[in-house]
Amino acid sequence: MSQLAVLFTSVALVVIGLYAAIFVDNIIKKIIGISFIEEGANLFIVGIGYKSGGIVPILAPNMDVSWFTANASYPLPYGLVLTSIVIGASTLAVMLALVMVLYRRYGTLSTKVMLADTSKQEEYDE
Amino acid sequence: MKLYDQIFNVVKTFKKLFSPGPVTNADVSGSITSEIFLIVSLLMSALLLRHLSILLTGLVLLILAVVLITNIPLIPKFKIEQEDSLEKMLFYAIVTLGIIVAFMYWGGNFV
Amino acid sequence: MNELIPLMVIVPMIAALLLSAFSKFDKVIKVLAFVVAFCLPIIPLVSNYGLHYFGGYQPVLEPITNMTYHPAITYSFNFMQQIFIAIIGLLTFLVIFIYLTKYKKVSGPYLFLVFMGTAAVTALILTDDIFNMFVFFEILALAQVGIVAASSIDYSYEMALKYMILGSIGSPIMLLGIGFLLALTGSVNITDIVLAIRSGIVNFKSPVFLISLGLIFFGWLYASGLPPFHTIKSGIYSKAEPHGAALLQSFTVISMISIVLILFRVYSVLPIFEVLIVLFSVLAMILGVSLALTQTDFRRMIGFLAVGELGFIGLGIGLGTQFSITAGLFQALNEIVITALLFIGFGAIVNATNEVDTRKLGGLLAYHPKVSIMLLIGGLAMAGVPPLSGFQSKLMLVQASLSCGYPELSILAIMVSIATFVVFVKTFYSMFLRPKPHDLDVVTKDVPRAMIFAMAVLLIIVIAFGLFPDVVTNGISQYVGGMIH
Repeated sequence: MSQLAVLFTSVALVVIGLYAAIFVDNIIKKIIGISFIEEGANLFIVGIGYKSGGIVPILAPNMDVSWFTANASYPLPYGLVLTSIVIGASTLAVMLALVMVLYRRYGTLSTKVMLADTSKQEEYDE
Repeated sequence: MKLYDQIFNVVKTFKKLFSPGPVTNADVSGSITSEIFLIVSLLMSALLLRHLSILLTGLVLLILAVVLITNIPLIPKFKIEQEDSLEKMLFYAIVTLGIIVAFMYWGGNFV
Repeated sequence: MNELIPLMVIVPMIAALLLSAFSKFDKVIKVLAFVVAFCLPIIPLVSNYGLHYFGGYQPVLEPITNMTYHPAITYSFNFMQQIFIAIIGLLTFLVIFIYLTKYKKVSGPYLFLVFMGTAAVTALILTDDIFNMFVFFEILALAQVGIVAASSIDYSYEMALKYMILGSIGSPIMLLGIGFLLALTGSVNITDIVLAIRSGIVNFKSPVFLISLGLIFFGWLYASGLPPFHTIKSGIYSKAEPHGAALLQSFTVISMISIVLILFRVYSVLPIFEVLIVLFSVLAMILGVSLALTQTDFRRMIGFLAVGELGFIGLGIGLGTQFSITAGLFQALNEIVITALLFIGFGAIVNATNEVDTRKLGGLLAYHPKVSIMLLIGGLAMAGVPPLSGFQSKLMLVQASLSCGYPELSILAIMVSIATFVVFVKTFYSMFLRPKPHDLDVVTKDVPRAMIFAMAVLLIIVIAFGLFPDVVTNGISQYVGGMIH
């Protein structure tokens, strides 16, 4: 049941993120939306490793191995998500740094102004 | 006569978009090549449908040919849809994602 | 010497960190960058083929199911990897050489980005672990953004941010797909995943498996710049410094083939996989070349041509036979070399004229005869004129699609080649052959020697591959044969 809740939440996060990516104009809000997609994916992977009533996957010296394998949750996804969160954070930092530079140049956070089509302006600069 | 006017129109539109000054041979050949290339290559790739159904291919080819030829000059319209603004890029990316996922879920096993 | 396999990734990475840390000492980083860049193409050539298990965790035989599991991140190194890593190393060396001779004061962070990108693509092509692939795919995207943002061309920050935003949609979607695959198979090692699918443990008709293909495929589209990402991909090429663009396109090609080979191993049981790849490749070919015909900025034009050429690679892999995949990989190798040659050559023109608009250029043949001849040969190679390397790979692709029973794809491939030729000839005419416009003042400075040297080296490779394609294709064909069966 709780695994289903995790799945629904992650799907909702991804869908909200995709919605924000298309329909929100403010670049900061757009980036927040995009990081929702990433968190949705991370949450989904954490959800894979979850086992209802499971134990922490650390084999203590006096534990029975077969009992441990039956009850421990799957540790691989946690390791993966940790890496993925770090990557996500660095991506976010670079994006926000670029936004800062562009905000100083344009004085607005609107995507329509800041990230509009630039090829035309170059074509007509006679 | 009408088709000729249309082709002439292609060159004129291109001129307005891409090059100031008098019309040169390179302009004319470039614009007409791109139009013809686009039409023929789209029709050619529609031919791939024959592996599904021959009747469907014939229908699609006819419709596509009529639509494409009556709509020249195509390239300016084509180019506007693929400009550098983030809005359009994001829109097409997410539409493609939706199409791929929907197609895989419902049609993935029928090919 | 199998120990050299991880060093192919570690050496550029350590170099990147050192260069960034000691960026204040100009002399030191110049020497270090040159030495490391010189070593990069040599390491793969002296290394032995084989597997490397990180941490030394050997594969484990599971007694109940009698199947082998790979607990370690595994790198596999074979002829295919060797040739691609050597080429990418050579290209990095040439780019670093151009960069070091061009600027008096070099930037440590820029060199960091270049080496990090090289390390990331090397790891991408070596790795046998789908999550490791994802991690380096992200590092590569960051390095690419950095290389674009570091250029002094107008609107480079905007383009970098656009690329980044699209990337941060593409890569979580890919991660989600990897998550689906992990949920199905419980493993991230590709050999294990393939074994699980082949042995019937995983039902490959289940919707979860299909959706995971769709999601990872979308991430691959972003990595390789096929439609709908062709505009942004050509955009970042045009906003990077020319030598940076030469490197960026090679990163794209390598990430494209390394991810698609992984996808091929996992998903080739599904017939729809090949349909998807062929569909998007055909789209890339048509859109790339038809948009290249309309460009007036020649950097953007080569960017679109490069995207169109990617379609050929995808076509070869999508047809799915041993011969066609060999042809696709050979085309990838040729494209890396030829497009790098074109970017560097046109970069030399930008250097001399400070002008990128083909409408305002003309009569440059008299000023830069060497560059123009080499560019002409490069352009002919891209269009597939014998006896250059592009001809060999495109001929193989046409034969492959004919023998698979798709003559329309062969005709399409030939048409795209012809259109590529038209684009190139039109640009070459307006830049080099027609009379010089009055208002164009050609700066009468020489093209940097390093650029001429780099172009000459790449040109030699183009001609050598064109005359002796068997040297490469035999080895690749063997590798592909081993991968398919």
